[in-house]
Amino acid sequence: MRKEALSKGTIYILLSLGAILMLLPFVWMISTSLKAPNEVMAMPPVWIPSEWQFGNYSEASESAPFGTYFFNSIVVTVLTTIGELLTTILAAYAFSRINFYGKGIVFAVLLGTMMVPGEMLLIPNFVTVSNLGWIDSYEGLIVPWIASIFSIFLLRQYFFSVPQELSYAAKVDGCSDFKFLWYVMVPLAKPALITIALLKIIGSWNAFLWPLIVTNSQELRTLPVGLSAFTTEAGIKYELLMAASTMVILPMLLLFFVMQKYVISGVARSGLKG
Amino acid sequence: MQKPTWKSTLKGYLYLLPALLILVVFSIYPIIKSFLMSFYTDYDFFSDTVNAYGLENFTKLFQDPNFITALKNTGIFVIGVVPLSIIISLAIAVLLNSKIKLSGFFRTIYFLPFVTSVVAVAIVWSWIFHSDYGLLNYILGLFGVDPIDWLTSPTYAMPALIILSIWKGLGFNIIIFLAGLQNIGNQYYLAAKVDGASAWNRFKSITLPLLSPTMFFVSIISIINAFKVFDEIFALFNGRPGPANSALTVVYYVYQKFYEEWEFGLATAAAFVLFLIIFLFTIIQLIVGKKFVHYN
Amino acid sequence: MDIHLNQLSMVFDNTTAVQEMTTTIKDGELVSLLGPSGCGKSTTLMLLSGLYKPTSGSIHFGDQDVTKLDAEKRGIGMVFQSYALYPHLSVLKNIMFPLRMKKVPKKEAEARAKEMAELVQIGHLLDRKPGQLSGGQQQRVAIARALVKKPNVLLLDEPLSNLDARLRLEMREEIRRIQQEIGITAIFVTHDQEEALSISDRVMLMKDGIIQQESAPQNMYKKPENEFVASFLGNPPINLMTLTKTHESTVYRLADSKEIIQLPALPPEDMETVRLGIRAEDLFHTTENPLFQGEIIHIETIGRDTLIRMQVGSITVRALVDPEQQLQIGDAYSLGVRPGNVHYFHSESGKRLPLQMRGGNWHAKTNVEEHA
Repeated sequence: MRKEALSKGTIYILLSLGAILMLLPFVWMISTSLKAPNEVMAMPPVWIPSEWQFGNYSEASESAPFGTYFFNSIVVTVLTTIGELLTTILAAYAFSRINFYGKGIVFAVLLGTMMVPGEMLLIPNFVTVSNLGWIDSYEGLIVPWIASIFSIFLLRQYFFSVPQELSYAAKVDGCSDFKFLWYVMVPLAKPALITIALLKIIGSWNAFLWPLIVTNSQELRTLPVGLSAFTTEAGIKYELLMAASTMVILPMLLLFFVMQKYVISGVARSGLKG
Repeated sequence: MQKPTWKSTLKGYLYLLPALLILVVFSIYPIIKSFLMSFYTDYDFFSDTVNAYGLENFTKLFQDPNFITALKNTGIFVIGVVPLSIIISLAIAVLLNSKIKLSGFFRTIYFLPFVTSVVAVAIVWSWIFHSDYGLLNYILGLFGVDPIDWLTSPTYAMPALIILSIWKGLGFNIIIFLAGLQNIGNQYYLAAKVDGASAWNRFKSITLPLLSPTMFFVSIISIINAFKVFDEIFALFNGRPGPANSALTVVYYVYQKFYEEWEFGLATAAAFVLFLIIFLFTIIQLIVGKKFVHYN
Repeated sequence: MDIHLNQLSMVFDNTTAVQEMTTTIKDGELVSLLGPSGCGKSTTLMLLSGLYKPTSGSIHFGDQDVTKLDAEKRGIGMVFQSYALYPHLSVLKNIMFPLRMKKVPKKEAEARAKEMAELVQIGHLLDRKPGQLSGGQQQRVAIARALVKKPNVLLLDEPLSNLDARLRLEMREEIRRIQQEIGITAIFVTHDQEEALSISDRVMLMKDGIIQQESAPQNMYKKPENEFVASFLGNPPINLMTLTKTHESTVYRLADSKEIIQLPALPPEDMETVRLGIRAEDLFHTTENPLFQGEIIHIETIGRDTLIRMQVGSITVRALVDPEQQLQIGDAYSLGVRPGNVHYFHSESGKRLPLQMRGGNWHAKTNVEEHA
């Protein structure tokens, strides 16, 4: 066999260097968040705080209503995710298992709208939401996001892979369409549903521009919006800013560590379509 | 499958109803509406009444030096991010694909930024970019580079934004490339090895052509996403489009006109121009892609 | 409960899958729907199940018109080619599923499912998932699931074709045993003639959406009503050839050749040309007034039989002969047939024709009368 271009050792060194660069901001964030103010600005930088200032976290959450932000983020994330799962399951079932007039056209129109950047919809949606009286409300934060064309496509593909005979069998066994969907298709599509849910949770938790424009009051801000406002309030107290950033980032990092298989397979699948 | 009947049609739409309701109101209607809105020249948001229509928004837009700056900056950003990001992520994906242990572990690390809030990581980076106490300038200083005003000098604001964006988006591209690489059958490589092709030749004559559909997909997605950059700027420069508008992009311009100045017509017109640009790019890529992409 | 199909038709886009089918399936009968792929046998089953609704015609279960009734309301059990077990449920839960859908209390459902599992001999596998079972075991689970709700009819759609040869034999006996044990009306779709002939009370042979013949298995084999039935059944396939009348009214020759055929039984006199069918196993070696004379061109030993192909004029004839005989390719050979074992078919319509006996063989005569 010919020699490979790079030895295993070189590959490890290159990948490790890259990994350090990727991790550095997170390490630096956590390190700063645990420092005393005098160590924050120290040069050369201090990597491991001489005394771990966990108090920075409580100080940060007291200087802005992070509890409220956190609560809002959880409410919005959970409800949008549940809502999207429901609409997606029903729609994907219709597209994969029911034959109806206009199916092709509806499908094509939805496919076409995926081409349009979401930013273009921002202003008309703002007008719609304000006409509905949903500015500065949970409805405004949640309702526009409880359906996703991408998720419908993803699940539809998955539903297609369930053999037709299974739905025949279920019919004969006494299932109506809805029961079949609920008792057979949904349990079978669990991996796809988890992927869809995770991508939604990540997207919803991190969403910024929409929550920024539809909320006015502190009571309804989500974490990213609150954090962004906090930068002005915290000024140059970087240890507090980093503590707050950690609070925003950490839940998603933990979620990702536990469920990464589903997240990565979802992202990979979105690529394989192309 | 049997032919549709009126009964099955009713059932089909009943199942579609919840999703369709949301999508029509918040995705399809706004597309039409924003097209119309870009022609509103006199619009009262509070009563939602339009007093005049016209092309004025578009002429105004192209006479606005800020919009021209936004277009230019967006272009620079796209050129700065997309090729670099693709090259780096492809290289990493190829390394990760070389049958080493810990490949899963590395993949996880490279993917981490993807799951994090743009706002939060932009704030972290703004601290790293700090001109006096920032980590980046400290490290550069070890190599004898003088401190750089990353976030306060118009020259370096854009490079700072590009660095952040590449870091953030790398993981996504790597995963897509990895999936593409794993789709390439090993038999091609074995055949090439038997033929005595060097590693570089194998990469050039097997990996790249067979990966071209993936490459095509990644570049379309990267370009579209790069055109839409906003969150990073808002958080990195603390709610301003960089020093002296040096990081003013089209979406940021839309945000300014719309949310800060309440110029709805102008803002939608700008958004519409963005859509046209993205659309045009996608079409061009599709045409170019047809020529160079090998689908097997 | 008898099942009546009346003028049943099913049209997909432009193809007619089932054409004006009228028949009755009697209570407790096991009927096979047999035919080549695309003959409409599976569509017929789908119509019976209610998964498809017919374009026209009607279906009655007993006195009840079920034509428009949905599958879930027909009270049928169905077994599929791919078993179609729910992959996420255990064996027990799979069998319980139809009962749970009928809101049978859990305790009772479990008891009935276990009882059914015993009947199909999978009582020891209840906690497994379908993926952990062999094909034969999965099919047993599918049968139990189909039967657990005590259906009126059991429909089986090619239930054995995913199994390997040996299991297929075992399972087909199992299906027959279970069907007779509970005395359920069963309709069995298959493309395998051996399967159909071996387990059914009655076989319906279909082609192009039309029933070609329905009768007891042996009857269908012995007295095919048309050329298609004759050619579809039997392995090796039946010898078929066209005969033309010579100037002498009782002498026929093979079409396209000068070969004169000494027929033991004749077709109706007014036929100028006729199709002759003789099964390979009905031919035997004889030198006395042989029917065919020719040269052996192929010899094949299949198990205990020896199959030869013999060139006769422009055609080849297959025959199963005594394996004790020492034969070689190129040998001259001659074959004869008993009068009752020849079949005549109309050269255009393919319909069976009655025989004219030479010297009055009463046994063959009765055959003629039956089909007159």
